[in-house]
Amino acid sequence: MRNLFMKAVAVGAVTMLALGATACSNERDGQGGGAASAKGFAADSLIGVAMPSKTSENWVLAGDLFVNGLKEAGFKADVQYAGASTTVADQQAQISAMVTKGAKVIVIGATDAAQLATQVKQAKESGATVIAYDRLITNTADVDYYIAYDNFEVGQLQGKALLEGMKAKKPKGPWTIELFSGSPDDNNSAVFFNGAMDVLKPLIDKGDVVVGSGQNTVKQTAIQGWKAENAQQRMDSLLTSTYNGGKTLDGVLSPNDTLARAILTSIKGAGKPLPIVTGQDSEVESVKSIVAGQQYSTINKDTRKLVAETINMVKALQEGSAPQVNDTKSYNNGVKVVPAYLLPPVIVTKANVAEAYANDPKLAALTK
Amino acid sequence: MSGFQEVKKNLFGGSASVSRQFGMIFTLVAIILLFQVLTDGLTLTSGNLIAVVSQYSYILILAIGMLMVIVAGHIDLSVGSIAAFTGIVVAKSMQNLDLPWPLAILLGLAVGAVIGAWHGFWVAYVGVPAFIVTLAGMLVFRGGNQFIGNADTVPVPEGFREIGAGYLPEVGPSTGYNNLTLLLGVIACVAVVWRESRARSTRREMGTQNAPLWISGVRLALMVGVIAFATLRFAGGRVGTSLPVSGIILIVLVLAYSFYTRNTVGGRSIYAVGGNARAAELSGVKLKRVNFLVMTNMGILSALAGMIFVARSAASGPQDGLSWELDAIAAVFIGGAAVSGGLGTIGGSIVGGLVMALLNNGLQLMGVGVDLVQIIKGLVLLLAVALDVYNKSQGRFSVIGSLTRPFRRQGSSPAAERPDSPSDSDRLPVRPLTHRKTSV
Repeated sequence: MRNLFMKAVAVGAVTMLALGATACSNERDGQGGGAASAKGFAADSLIGVAMPSKTSENWVLAGDLFVNGLKEAGFKADVQYAGASTTVADQQAQISAMVTKGAKVIVIGATDAAQLATQVKQAKESGATVIAYDRLITNTADVDYYIAYDNFEVGQLQGKALLEGMKAKKPKGPWTIELFSGSPDDNNSAVFFNGAMDVLKPLIDKGDVVVGSGQNTVKQTAIQGWKAENAQQRMDSLLTSTYNGGKTLDGVLSPNDTLARAILTSIKGAGKPLPIVTGQDSEVESVKSIVAGQQYSTINKDTRKLVAETINMVKALQEGSAPQVNDTKSYNNGVKVVPAYLLPPVIVTKANVAEAYANDPKLAALTK
Repeated sequence: MSGFQEVKKNLFGGSASVSRQFGMIFTLVAIILLFQVLTDGLTLTSGNLIAVVSQYSYILILAIGMLMVIVAGHIDLSVGSIAAFTGIVVAKSMQNLDLPWPLAILLGLAVGAVIGAWHGFWVAYVGVPAFIVTLAGMLVFRGGNQFIGNADTVPVPEGFREIGAGYLPEVGPSTGYNNLTLLLGVIACVAVVWRESRARSTRREMGTQNAPLWISGVRLALMVGVIAFATLRFAGGRVGTSLPVSGIILIVLVLAYSFYTRNTVGGRSIYAVGGNARAAELSGVKLKRVNFLVMTNMGILSALAGMIFVARSAASGPQDGLSWELDAIAAVFIGGAAVSGGLGTIGGSIVGGLVMALLNNGLQLMGVGVDLVQIIKGLVLLLAVALDVYNKSQGRFSVIGSLTRPFRRQGSSPAAERPDSPSDSDRLPVRPLTHRKTSV
């Protein structure tokens, strides 16, 4: 009995060895390190694109442009959006899957820019190049490039537009304003805000511009999740707390169009005169609002151009040359300074709305 | 035909709900093979297997606790919120108070235990349904996460990241594999062989009939083969990777909790309470204490899962833990637990969780979008539970049921060939305290 059992064990062991020998190829040497990316890669390689959930028109448009653009350039494209409820976990799994599939470049529009360190490390170790698209991935040394519109300049343009708008309406100060900033988990929020404050701060210090509620830091003015409802709530409370006694509000710095419209809704609801409100993203409803003279300005950051430049970067990497960058010192992600390619944004007000969108079939129709 | 049934019973152990579990294992293998073909062999690469384990270990850890909660006849909707709350407390404690990370982990487990005990108190001693208690908990602790974290993303230090993103170190001679993972594999093989030989000798001593030897041989060959395959895969990944630390935590928990739920009085009490609470109480089971402990335990495991996720993400964020409860509950039900409580095993839930994980991973490798992945996962969940419910309803009146009845009495019938065919024990009410398993 004992003997037979030992025989059975022996059979098991042999099977194990057989399985081990035939089925298991070792991957230890298979995947190259950073050296591979310096020499370029095959022209039909897989390029992974991980986008946040489909909550804004811009991401959906960008995803479609990537699918078509990468295909035209001869690459295989894998474009994925995070789900609506489990965004971070989805994106993590998607990036891992892209690494497994052997993507040579992974373009990431992060859902939460601070929670991807493990995945980009994995990507980097497999020899892929990581490009942070529009949102800088933080707390990791494994991001190679950052491509975006110059967000500091976006902020500056917003600040300037706010001042010009208020001056046009009421030539002499002091002007009373309120400040709004974006979601605290988006690295860009502070950049927009600081850009705007770069313009506004000197005037605030002089007393020409007054922040009515006194809330003037990124933290105090943040709108969680870039959500319209949160911005509307904050504006409602500001109106109640600060502008009940006949004080007039001359301008509101809003970081994007969604929030700008929410702010305008809140002010209309309270029956107050509309102040100058800035914006960003050229969303359809906001362009209409600008044409109708309600929202004062928006920013045109043409997604087509940004995607085209990203694909150019991928092409350069494929050929083995260094992609073009124009800023190698401003974008510190907490671990390293990420080389960045920044595109210039364009401010749009009622005055130049027709020419700004002349090339955009959807928006041009609204300006006529 | 009964020969096959006999072999299956001997190979996989012949007791309650094994038939169903065999069905799930079969499904899991089928899914793996399907995607292995569809993804041109990417599914079973070392890199992918390692990624899957570290991506889903926290969901599987939740499934362990959730299985016990569901077996006891409750449900816990708050696990994701508890995980997120613990995550932010731990991250903040390390950032602001400079707490060393091992202490921070203990703090996290303590927070989980306190929250679990809070839920347990309301469920067991006040008698509020767990659905309501944990729905409240879901809101309270989600809000708590945002209150403490200010809706910010808080990074955690390197040492802490080990439990979620860490691997075993590379030690010893260069074998082309991760030596510690190989060692674990060898230990697992030895343990399996030792267990089998001990089971045989116990049976001999007890005077019961042992299965034919070749059955033991085939079974061992299968198990050792699977372990060896997995070991070589996990050990053969990129240098610096191995079986993930989170995977090791998971395996230890699975073994410990399987033993507890199967072989101890405390564990069997949970089944007794879920099967028939009144009868259990009359036979001396301390109903309130069992409910309290099950909920407390869920809190601790949620905290652990939350910390592993935070460690893997390198930061605690406001979106942590969203809809984890649904993934954990789905894993448990796909793994064969009964909606009414009293039935289900840890092993089954893990297999159920792995089915979901590999489905998700395979679809992602194929580049299927999240929208479709969600639809497919939803349908799989529905079908798995529908099959279970259908099997049970057969017990009352059904054509197939009447056709298969003779088999259920005597243990042989044509329907027995179907791996997922219902077995007697799936349908009868459990007799928990007398019901023992003989093997995995």
